[in-house]
Amino acid sequence: MAAFGFLDWLWIVLYLFIMIGAGILFYRLGKRSESDFFLAARGLPWWLPAASVYATHTATDTPMWVSGVIYRHGLAGLWYSFFAGWCAISAFVSTRIFRRSVAYTQAEWNTIRFSGLGAELLRGWMSGWQVFMSMFILGWVGVAMGKVCHYVFDWPVWFGLVFFSSLCAVYVMAAGYWGVIMADFLQGVIAFAVILLVSIWGVVAAGGPGAIVEKLTAMGEASRLNPFTFTGWFTGDFPIAWFATMIFIAVLGGFGMGTSIDWYVEAQRIQSARTVRDASYSIWWGTALVLMRNSIWAVAILGFYVLYPNISATADYEMAWFRIGFDFLPVGMLGFFFAGIVAIHISTISAVLNLGAMYFTRDLYLHYWKRDATEQQLVWVGRIATLVLLLGSFFYGLIMEEITSWLIFALWIMAAGIWLPNILQVIWWRFNAWGYLSSWIANLGLSWLVVWVLPSFGVIPELPDYQQFWALMMLGALIYLPITFLTKPDDMDHLVRYYVMSRPIGFWGPVRREAERRGLLMTARDAMAEREAL
Amino acid sequence: MSWIRREWTPASADEWTREDWITIVVSPIAYMLLMIGVALSMLLLPVGYLVLAAGVLATGFMHWVIDPKLKVISSEYEKRQREYLEEVERKTRWEENDG
Repeated sequence: MAAFGFLDWLWIVLYLFIMIGAGILFYRLGKRSESDFFLAARGLPWWLPAASVYATHTATDTPMWVSGVIYRHGLAGLWYSFFAGWCAISAFVSTRIFRRSVAYTQAEWNTIRFSGLGAELLRGWMSGWQVFMSMFILGWVGVAMGKVCHYVFDWPVWFGLVFFSSLCAVYVMAAGYWGVIMADFLQGVIAFAVILLVSIWGVVAAGGPGAIVEKLTAMGEASRLNPFTFTGWFTGDFPIAWFATMIFIAVLGGFGMGTSIDWYVEAQRIQSARTVRDASYSIWWGTALVLMRNSIWAVAILGFYVLYPNISATADYEMAWFRIGFDFLPVGMLGFFFAGIVAIHISTISAVLNLGAMYFTRDLYLHYWKRDATEQQLVWVGRIATLVLLLGSFFYGLIMEEITSWLIFALWIMAAGIWLPNILQVIWWRFNAWGYLSSWIANLGLSWLVVWVLPSFGVIPELPDYQQFWALMMLGALIYLPITFLTKPDDMDHLVRYYVMSRPIGFWGPVRREAERRGLLMTARDAMAEREAL
Repeated sequence: MSWIRREWTPASADEWTREDWITIVVSPIAYMLLMIGVALSMLLLPVGYLVLAAGVLATGFMHWVIDPKLKVISSEYEKRQREYLEEVERKTRWEENDG
């Protein structure tokens, strides 16, 4: 348990006062319309959503996870965090396409890209799934905060979960996305300052950068300084095959939408940016900051490893970064550190609360329940949905210990078998709603078979996770590709309208030619003539 | 560099061109260099400074290539955005069903 002085408590109270104050300050903007409550009226310069991308993806469990992989693998563990690299391509491809669709949510985008009953089924499924996932993520992140509070103050886990998430809900309900984005900016600045300060403190505590290098070398652990230390092509716990798969998934995933679970949060930031250019830069720079932050953490964890090299319990070394702060910072700075942790926590909670409420309000309530709802009604439904999500997250958070492995499996099945369909829906005109829907359903069954059932009966060996990915990707294709070709393409009028609006990349030849035939787009010959004239 | 186009018309900027593909290739490389460069530079390793400098250069080059195009896409698209927003709103409220 950490000993807090007056100055420490002052930092925390001051911080909470500023955060809740932000909600009250932007209350008038948030209540103007649905667009204000969920997208800040699509008027933000790139650096505000960028700060939000960074702040949202700095959650309470993130330093635990980064500490774990760096303590185990050294700097090579940084590649585990490179999954965020999907934004490298997405910022200039799927972000541009999605921003031009002006869809509020990915569920709404389904009905802009696809047509007919299949599109409606997709919208219903996607929105229900996202409301559930929001509640789950809130519980997951909330219980991590409960554990940190238990570690620092010896509070019961439930208290840390309920107290800070509830405080955060105050400004989310008051000001909606305006409150989220403004608080995220402040939280992003505070969180980055705290991460930098504590990490440098940890490096100094280990004797400084030079001493860390020297000690690692003396310990025979110099390989921890090399980000490309692999255990073989296919063997060991860090094979090149895993690395290649990860780079493939992360980088090429940027051509699609939903190839990473983070896409759904980013999609809201993309639509809140005032232009396509602002959307691209917000995603690129927010993620660049995330990756560089991981590097700063990594060096601090190397320092921790030098100080405590023989920790074998995962739960212990995953607390490395928190231990650096609470064990080495002086009284008076501990409160600043804890305020930073609260900033890290609240920024994620607020973003996910508002996101889940948007799916409920826009895609379920407005689209399927009350199509003539007024703007004021939608704002109020958004607030009530925020409250329901908050209460649901307490339930999930408190039973999380028992269901974690099931929910990690749920995340995994969401990512693996539908990775390619998430790209195909963006780049291939012929991929239709039935193909995409069948890929989700097929993935639910196949992932059970490949991950659990077949290995249990000895039909196939237990595969490493990267091999499971390839297996699920290929098996799924055997189902959704025939279904795509056996069902009709989407309505051409619908596709032409989508194409002209969003201008997607990839294989859209027939739709493009139809748009040109209708005089909606310039032909290649006309474009050449225009260029020569220029 | 004449092979990098710096002047765009709205119609030509809407097409996927060489500039987009250069950005698509350089962007992940910039991320990797920045991530590794920051870590090694914090350890005061000379190779870290080189990697970080390469990351900064790659980032600058990428922006130089794509920014003129993004500016034109954005300004042209803003003129049509209101119309698209109205269409999406009609679809959500079932005032138009094209399926």
